[in-house]
Amino acid sequence: MRSTSELTDFYYKELYPSLNELEETRKKIVSQLKWYGGMGAVSFLLLAAWMGKNFGLLHPLSIAIVIGSIAVSGITYRIMTHGYAKDFKTKIITPLIGAIDPHLLYNPDFMISQHLFERSDLFQHTIDRYRGNDYVKGSINGVPIEFSDIHAEYQTRDSKGRTQWHTLFRGLFLVAEFNKHFKAKTVILPDKAEKSFGSLIGGWLQSINLSREDLIRLDDPEFEKHFVVYGNDPIEARYILTHSMMKRLLDFQRRISHPLFVSFVHNHIHVAIGTSKDLFEPAVFTSLLDYKQTMEYINTLRNTIGLVEELKLSEKLWSKV
Amino acid sequence: MTALLIIIGVVVLIAILMYNSLIGKKNQVENIFAGVDTVLKKRFDLIPNLVASVSQYMEHEKSTLEKVTELRAAAMKPGISDDQKIALDAKLTSALGAINLAMEAYPDLKANENVMHLQRSLNEIEEQISAARRAYNQAVTDLNNAIEMFPTNLMAGWMNLSRRAVFEITVTERQNVDVRALFNK
Repeated sequence: MRSTSELTDFYYKELYPSLNELEETRKKIVSQLKWYGGMGAVSFLLLAAWMGKNFGLLHPLSIAIVIGSIAVSGITYRIMTHGYAKDFKTKIITPLIGAIDPHLLYNPDFMISQHLFERSDLFQHTIDRYRGNDYVKGSINGVPIEFSDIHAEYQTRDSKGRTQWHTLFRGLFLVAEFNKHFKAKTVILPDKAEKSFGSLIGGWLQSINLSREDLIRLDDPEFEKHFVVYGNDPIEARYILTHSMMKRLLDFQRRISHPLFVSFVHNHIHVAIGTSKDLFEPAVFTSLLDYKQTMEYINTLRNTIGLVEELKLSEKLWSKV
Repeated sequence: MTALLIIIGVVVLIAILMYNSLIGKKNQVENIFAGVDTVLKKRFDLIPNLVASVSQYMEHEKSTLEKVTELRAAAMKPGISDDQKIALDAKLTSALGAINLAMEAYPDLKANENVMHLQRSLNEIEEQISAARRAYNQAVTDLNNAIEMFPTNLMAGWMNLSRRAVFEITVTERQNVDVRALFNK
């Protein structure tokens, strides 16, 4: 796998012609957006003034018009940037992923299956809407891996019968084969209770969590501070979470600065990173050639794919060879 | 009168909860020790094989090999206590470590596929044992804490529960077992 600096070189050198082309499109879109935005704002204000004069600003019709205008501008934005986003994914992200490792396949419209997401047991709630994109599948150093953007939501109804959507998880979801055999289930979640209530009360709250398996307390205080571990086999949980594995997970958590959820089920490791946004969406209001923007794309990809190396998933023990 | 009854009720309830939690902890220790025992047995099963395959090469390590065999025999005797088992296991681990190190000096051994396979199996079992030991230590710590802390210590004294020994985790175990470095030397 190539280093970050090699990838930055690749991005600026090899992809330069496509980048330039896309950058032109981006500028055009921005100027169009400004034009439409200006027109929209003026007409909206005129309409609002007229409505306010005739019906009053709080009239249902006025409110409907406000909501309608927001929806229309959102849809217009989508339509205008759609082609650009698609081009960006085929011309920039696809070769970039190929450059990281030629064994990886990329499909911008596909996602990791809901079955795998549910199998991970990281989020225990029924899912009513499951969407995603930017699917990558392949193998790194012989380890099968797949990941994609996921947005899982569930639905509730309030007392008036209105449906409300709640996000269960939004971010990157990754599944890779693990280098050890195991039968039990081990789930690692961010430690909220101990952080807010201290180790005594928080620990007690965790131990009575009925929806989860048994609480497993591990012998790494630093790891315990950041994560809470549940599992149905205390020995196997420690077989997976060796001291070095705990340290690697902790290092990874420190670097990504988003909530990290990890589970070990069915001989696979499942990793969910709660970034709360879509990953490889092109920048519209900042330049594609902007260094910070570039590093974000490259680092996201490298961090995710690099997880295989970082967690040493390719170092197999004899029984898995 | 009712106040007294309520107080008695609460006291009895607390006593029951304490009793049950102590029993739960004690059973957890025993349960996990059974797991430790299983992996330790796995290692015992491999030892005669290992000793037989390496003894013809390792002339100078005869005494270590004999020691390993002796320790294995001692640990497999029926009716020894958990604490004795723990002590024997520590000795066995260090003796096997010594053999592992000594094997570096015999290039013939490294060419032997059978020995290499055995050593890899042993390394894997070593990881399982380490996991089992850590699980056991946690369970024992929970139990020991309950036995010593107020108010569960009163109940534990009445139940005749006593502190248990934990496995000592050696320094080498705290480090990552780097299989590749072991073989590529």
